[in-house]
Amino acid sequence: MSSKINIYLVEYAINSLLRQKHKTFFITIILTILIFLLSSVFLITNSIKHELNATLKSLPEIIVQKSKAGRHYDIDIDMADNLLNITGVKSAIPRVWGYYYFYNSKTNFSIVGIDEYEEQYKDTLEKIATTLDFSKDSMLIGKGVNRIMSKNYYKEYFNFIKPDGSIKKMEISGVFSADTELESNDMIVMSINNAREIFDMPSAHATDIVVKIPNVDEIATIAQKIKQQYPDTKVITKDDLKISYQNIFNYKSGLFLALFIISLFTFFIIIYDKLSGLSSEEKREVGVLKAIGWRVEDVLKAKFYEGFIVSFFAYLLGLLLSFAFVYIFQAPLLKNIFIGYSELKPSFELPFVFDIQTLALIFFLSVPIYIAATIIPSWRSATLEADEVIR
Amino acid sequence: MIELKNITKKYEINKNNTITALKNINIKIGEGELVIIKGSSGSGKSTLLSLIAALSKPTSGEVIVDSKRISKLPDNFASDFRQNNIGFIFQKYNLINSLSVRDNIILPLIPMNLNIDVLNTKLQNVIKMFHIEHKENVLVKNLSGGEQQRVAIARANINSPKIILADEPTANLDEKLSLAFIEILKELKFQGKTIIIATHDPLFFNFNIVDKEIKIYQGSIS
Amino acid sequence: MLLTPEVLTLSILNVLFVIFATIAFVLSVKIYLNWDMNSTNQKQYQLEKYSFLNAIVIKYIFFIKIPLFLFFIFTLDKISNILTGAMCSAGVIDATEYGTYLIVLKILNLYLFAYWLKLHQQDKKDEKQLYTKLKFGIYIALYLFFMVEIALEGIMFYSIDINKLVSCCSSIYSSSSTSAISTIFSLNTKILLSIFYGNFFLIIIFYFFKNRYLFALSNIIFIVTALITLIAFFGTYIYELPSHHCPLCFLKSEYNYIGYLIYLLLFIGTFYGLSVALLKKSRKNYKISLIFNSLYVILLSLIIIVYYIKNGVLL
Ligand SMILES: Nc1ncnc2c1ncn2[C@@H]1O[C@H](COP(=O)(O)OP(=O)(O)OP(=O)(O)O)[C@@H](O)[C@H]1O
Ligand SMILES: [Mg+2]
Repeated sequence: MSSKINIYLVEYAINSLLRQKHKTFFITIILTILIFLLSSVFLITNSIKHELNATLKSLPEIIVQKSKAGRHYDIDIDMADNLLNITGVKSAIPRVWGYYYFYNSKTNFSIVGIDEYEEQYKDTLEKIATTLDFSKDSMLIGKGVNRIMSKNYYKEYFNFIKPDGSIKKMEISGVFSADTELESNDMIVMSINNAREIFDMPSAHATDIVVKIPNVDEIATIAQKIKQQYPDTKVITKDDLKISYQNIFNYKSGLFLALFIISLFTFFIIIYDKLSGLSSEEKREVGVLKAIGWRVEDVLKAKFYEGFIVSFFAYLLGLLLSFAFVYIFQAPLLKNIFIGYSELKPSFELPFVFDIQTLALIFFLSVPIYIAATIIPSWRSATLEADEVIR
Repeated sequence: MIELKNITKKYEINKNNTITALKNINIKIGEGELVIIKGSSGSGKSTLLSLIAALSKPTSGEVIVDSKRISKLPDNFASDFRQNNIGFIFQKYNLINSLSVRDNIILPLIPMNLNIDVLNTKLQNVIKMFHIEHKENVLVKNLSGGEQQRVAIARANINSPKIILADEPTANLDEKLSLAFIEILKELKFQGKTIIIATHDPLFFNFNIVDKEIKIYQGSIS
Repeated sequence: MLLTPEVLTLSILNVLFVIFATIAFVLSVKIYLNWDMNSTNQKQYQLEKYSFLNAIVIKYIFFIKIPLFLFFIFTLDKISNILTGAMCSAGVIDATEYGTYLIVLKILNLYLFAYWLKLHQQDKKDEKQLYTKLKFGIYIALYLFFMVEIALEGIMFYSIDINKLVSCCSSIYSSSSTSAISTIFSLNTKILLSIFYGNFFLIIIFYFFKNRYLFALSNIIFIVTALITLIAFFGTYIYELPSHHCPLCFLKSEYNYIGYLIYLLLFIGTFYGLSVALLKKSRKNYKISLIFNSLYVILLSLIIIVYYIKNGVLL
C-alpha cells in the first residue's frame, strides 16, 4: 500500500460520481441539509454563549438577595454596610432593577436604577452614569428598546404605568450601546429614585446587593459567611451563574443533537441502501476493472475517494451555508428556539464567533459517519466475482 | 509459456449441487502461439480463460505461467499478475461509455500511479498502433462499433502484456469488422504475443495464423 | 452524568466503532480458525474476501481514532470549564477513578492499532501471506482491549459529577500530593536527567549495533523516562513555572499546542523503535525511530536553552 495520493484514481472517482449524477446529487443534498442544520444550531449556541460569557465576566462576584417563603424579596439597604465589614469584601452596592412589561409590543424591558454619587457596580454603567442627567426625569435606553419605542411613536418620552395605575412620564435623553448586545439591548437606565417610583419600592429598599471581592479564591468562603450571618438571604456566586447557564445550553444543544442522531441514523440507512443496491452496470464496471488488473484495494480506494469527496464537499457547503444563514441573515426561526423567551425580549444581533472545536465536532458527526455507511457496500462491490463479467 | 495441469473447476450452485465446468484439463501453450479454443455454448471456454487470467481459481490442478503458479496466488498478487501480463478483450468491449477514449484506455494504468509523461507515452503508443488517435478525446458512446473494438484492444495492450485473452471477440461484429480484427491479431502475433481466443467463429480458420486448436466438449478436451 | 455535544459526538462514534469492530471480530475468529492458504474451496475464498473487509474496517477505525484522540483531549479541556476546580483536562481525568486507566489504555491501543497496520502491510507483501492468521489473532485480542476502552470511556463520562469539586492539575502533579505520580518529584532532577539522556545515548548506540531487541527495549524504557522527565522537569520550562507539573496543560492554545508536537514525536519515534523488534527489522524503521526520538530530545533541550538565554537563569 503506497500512501501517496493517486491523482488518476481521484480523477476516476470524480468521474464516477459525475456519471451517477442523480444519486450523487441526492446524497449530497441530504447530507448538506443535515450538516447545515447541525452547524447552524452550534453557531447560534456558540454566539449566545459568547455573549453570555461576556456578560458574566462583568457580573459581580456575589449577589445577595433576600428570600422569604422561597420567593425573592426587596432587601434592606442597611445590609450593604454590614456586608462591608466582612474581610475580603471590597464593596457592597445595593441595586434597584427589574422588568417592566410593555403591553403594546408584548416585550419586557429591564430597568436599571443608578445612583449619581455611588460607585457603579459595572463598568458599562460607569460610563452611562456620566451622561445621564440626574436633575430631570430622564432616561437612557438600549438599542432594542429604542427600536420598539419608536415603533410605538415614543420618540421623545415614554409613559410608564406605575403599579397603582398612575402614569410616570420619562424623557428619553439618549441611546447607548454596551460591550455585549445581549446585556444592553433591552436595558433602560435611569436614576435610582425614578426606578423605585416605577416599581413602587420604599426608599430604604433595593432589589439586591452586589458584593465585589478582589481575590477570586475567597469568593466561596465569603459566600458561605454571608449565608451563615443572614440565613434569610440567597447568595449567588458568579460561578453558580456561569455553570447553570452553560448547562442550559448544553442541555438544549444536547436535545437537538439527539434529534440529529435520529436523522443521521435514517440517513445512514438510506445511504447503505442506496449503495448496496448495485446496478448490473456497476457490477460489470467493477468486474472489468478487476479483469484489467485492479486490486481489490484499488477499487476500495476509489470508493473511499468517492465517499470522502461527497461528504467533505457537503461538509464545506453545509458549513458555508450555515455561516451565511446565522451571521448574515441572523438565523430566522432557528434563533428563537435557543433564545426561548425572545418573544418577550427585544431581538439582538448574533456576534461572530469562530471556534475550531465546533468545526471539528461537526466534521466528526458527518464525514466519518458517511464513510462508515459506505464501507460494507464498497467492500461488496470490490470483492464481486470478476469472472462473471467475461462471460 | 502457459501450462494447465489437471485442471478441474466446479461451481457450487448450492450445498448439494455442483456444476463441473472443466474436468481434468491439460494444456500447454508456447510463447508467441495463437490458440483457438472451440466449443459449443456452455462447454467451459470462458471458464478456461478466467483461470488463465487468475480471475478465478481451480478446484484442483494448477495453472502455471512463466513457471509461476498462478492458481495459488492471493487476490492482490493475481491482480498484479493480470496488470503486468494479461490483456483482456471482452465480447461486449466492456468500455465505460460516458468516459472518453483516453480515459478508457488508461484505466489499467490508474492503480500504478505513473508519472504523467510515462503514461502519455504509453497512451500515444497504443492509440497510434490501433489508429484511434483522432478520437482521443471523444466519448466512447459516440464511436462506431469498430472504433469501440479498437479502443478495447488498445486498452488491452496499453501495458504491453505478453498474453492476450479474447472471449468471443467477433461475436458482435459484422464480417468486415471481423476481418479487420483478424488483421490486428496478425499484427499482435507478429509482435510475439501469446494469444488465446475463445470462439466458434469459423472465420479464423480461413487464415493460417492459428497455431493450435483446442476443442472443448462438456468441460473436457475432445 | 455529562451530556455535552462533544461527549455525545464521541459516544456516537464509539457506537459506530463497536458495530464495525464487532463485525471484524466475528470475521477474524472465523478466519483465525479456518484459514488455509492451500485450500481451493468456496469457504477459503470467502475468508479471503472477509480479510479485505476486516482490513478496511480496522484501517477506518485507526485513522479516525487518531484525530478523535485529539478531539477527546479537547473535549476534556472543555469539560474542565464546567467542572469546578479543574483547570485543564488533567482535572477531568482525575475527577473519576477511571480517567487515568482510560488515558493509558487509549494510548496503548493507538500503539497496538499502529502495530497491527504494520503487520498487515508486511503480510500483504508476501505471496504466501504468512501473517494472516497471526494478524487476525492479534486483532481478536486488540478487539477486547478496544471494547474495554470504549466501556471505560462511557463509564467515565457517565460518572463525572458536575457538582463535585475536583482537583486541579497543579495539585495532582505536586510533590505534596499522595498519588503515585508525586513520588516522581522526590527524585533528584540531576539523576532523572542523566537517566533520560543516558537512555537516549543507548538508543543511538544500539542503532549502530543494529541489535533489534536491545533497540526496542531501550525504546520502551525511553517512553517511561521521557514521560517522567517531561512531567518533572521539561514541562516546568514550558510553563515557565517551577511548580506546575501538568502533562496536559501544554496541549492548550496558550502554549501554542506544543504538547501535540511533543507527544507526536515521542509516539512516532518509540513506535518505530518497537516495531523493529516486533516486525521484520528494516533500515527504514531504525532510521525513522532514531530521527523522531532525536527530534524529541532536541526539541525539549531547546526549550531549556531558549529559556536560559532569555532569562539568564534556570528554574
Ligand atoms: N459462476 C458460475 N456459477 C455457476 N455456474 C457457472 C458459473 N460460471 C459458469 N458456470 C457454468 O459452467 C459451465 C461453463 O460455462 P462457460 O461460461 O465457461 O461456458 P462457455 O463455453 O463460455 O459458453 P458460451 O459459449 O455460452 O460463452 C456452464 O454450464 C455454466 O452454466
Ligand atoms: Mg463464454
